[in-house]
Amino acid sequence: MNQKRRNGSRVIAVLLLFAIAQIGLQVGFAEPNTTTNPTALPQQFVARLTTRNNQPITVNGLSATTGASILTGATIETGADQSATVNLGPLGQLDIAPNTKLVLTYDEQGNVKAVIVYGCAILTAKKKTTGEVATEQGTAGKTDPAAGGVLDICFPQGATAPTVGQGAAASAGAGAGGGAPAGAAAAGGGGLFGLGTPATIAIFSGIGAAALTPLAFQDNPSGAIP
Amino acid sequence: MRIALTILGIALCLFLIQGSARFGFSRLLSRYALATNSIPAADEALRLTPSDPEAHRSKATILNRLQASADAAHSLETATTLRFRDDYLWIELANTREELGDTDGALAALDQAVRWAPHYAHTHWQRGNLLLRMRRPQEAFSELRQAATANPSYIPSLVDLAWGISGGNIKTTEAALEVKDDVTRLALIRFLARKGRGREVVDQIRSLSSPLPADKQNEIAGLLFAGKAYREAFDLWRASNNIPSAQLLMNGGFEDPIAFNDNAFGWIIAADQKNRVAIDVSEKLRGARSLQITFDGPWAPGTSPLNQTIVVDYGKTYHLSFAVRTKDLVTGGPPILVVNDANNNQLLGQSENFPTVTTPWQTLNLNFTTLTTSEAVIIRLQRSNCDSSPCPIFGTLWLDEFHIEQTEPTTKR
Repeated sequence: MNQKRRNGSRVIAVLLLFAIAQIGLQVGFAEPNTTTNPTALPQQFVARLTTRNNQPITVNGLSATTGASILTGATIETGADQSATVNLGPLGQLDIAPNTKLVLTYDEQGNVKAVIVYGCAILTAKKKTTGEVATEQGTAGKTDPAAGGVLDICFPQGATAPTVGQGAAASAGAGAGGGAPAGAAAAGGGGLFGLGTPATIAIFSGIGAAALTPLAFQDNPSGAIP
Repeated sequence: MRIALTILGIALCLFLIQGSARFGFSRLLSRYALATNSIPAADEALRLTPSDPEAHRSKATILNRLQASADAAHSLETATTLRFRDDYLWIELANTREELGDTDGALAALDQAVRWAPHYAHTHWQRGNLLLRMRRPQEAFSELRQAATANPSYIPSLVDLAWGISGGNIKTTEAALEVKDDVTRLALIRFLARKGRGREVVDQIRSLSSPLPADKQNEIAGLLFAGKAYREAFDLWRASNNIPSAQLLMNGGFEDPIAFNDNAFGWIIAADQKNRVAIDVSEKLRGARSLQITFDGPWAPGTSPLNQTIVVDYGKTYHLSFAVRTKDLVTGGPPILVVNDANNNQLLGQSENFPTVTTPWQTLNLNFTTLTTSEAVIIRLQRSNCDSSPCPIFGTLWLDEFHIEQTEPTTKR
């Protein structure tokens, strides 16, 4: 009896194993096609955009802000109160002044070129990089890859030739000064702690309003649902 | 007891007033600091409210402006610990870390941004862009597509990135986009049309799940026209406007209304010449109408009040004929009709000078041969060069019965 029971268990075990194997096989056959993408996307160096005060500028006719990727051949346009910097990583960087339109090209062989349609820009090329600024009429300046260098170019609308290396682009708002605050003049002298009269008035108005501020304080500005 | 409670109440109120004033003044100082790039003011704001993330954020913004990214990152890290659900703070931290070259740290920050705002587009968009710069395009486009799904206004930028990263290869672009719906495909079609990629536009239109409505066909035709993909633009425009396939020149007898759209087939009247041009129902060679143009002095040489773009075959000869009538037309530079290649503006042919003074209807002819690269030609009403300047023109002319046919070889399109 015991032997019979043991044999029975063995048969059941074998049948169970067979059944499971069948299910596994059929599930394997029924598995949908994998959704992996057969076309590999190219890996390449991509530059990064930073805009002043995170204001949007135009890249290839579309709005772009800080954190956007700038691919080679991009047409970049800034408005009256907009300036931007394109971080080209090992190649250098391009500072773009307000009211500028340019076409930026670069490659991984160490070539960067900014063709200014109009406006001002500063191209900083690192060592082993050939930086070039140009207009649609032709080259306006090039850096030596052995030393790197800075090219400051201005080509205002209606001008016949660009101005290169005279600091005109920096004056026009390209470069480190791009983050200079607007309305700083409002904080002249006078008033509480030298904040100015309007600011002082605002302090006392603000004290009252501030009491209610914590009520409106929100921890996650995006909320849970878009 | 009552007095004690009152004193306690007053003390509580004073405490709250002091707290509110402190908070409000700190915010004011932060704003002032941002307006003037003042680190001391930002520090003072922090001294007043060290646990206010906004004060840390303001200081970080100023430090970033002053290109002190490492200190800015530190301030933002503090801010994110104080308000860890703020996705924008995480994004700012990511941007600052990336500026420092710490892409892994930036990605970790964006992971948090996505975590706290998973259904919003901007977090996915930022993360996708970072992954793209980290040379992880497959993951990048997966993230970018999520952003575009959450907010379709990102679709044109997604298409632009896909096209750019693929080096203008349509197959790779499609792979990056993983087009699954007509909205994305239509965005791709618009993008390709602007680029003048006519053949690809036609292929994509065929791939749409539902036929393109007539207004969209006209829109795409206009984009193709502007992108100088004339043949595909014409085919699309013709299909949406039920134009017979053999017809090359539109509205040759001026029997139909004239468009004022620059990106279209058919007669186009220059915007600044509209008040000189009119459809005349009393003077015509055939049909019911003709086109009347009245001159009252100025007409700059080289400008054209009237033109039409015609799709042609390359390397073929065409015969163009039209009728003209004049009344009191006086000028040193009489009008002519010229034919230019639409792509490079090369002159292919021109008519003889229009008759001056007053003449009855007469037919003028011209032949032209298209270039081996020609796709379309533009016929323009211009004027011959004047010997003197200024060179006014006075009087009236009428145009009617424009016809064009291919003469060599005589195969029909």
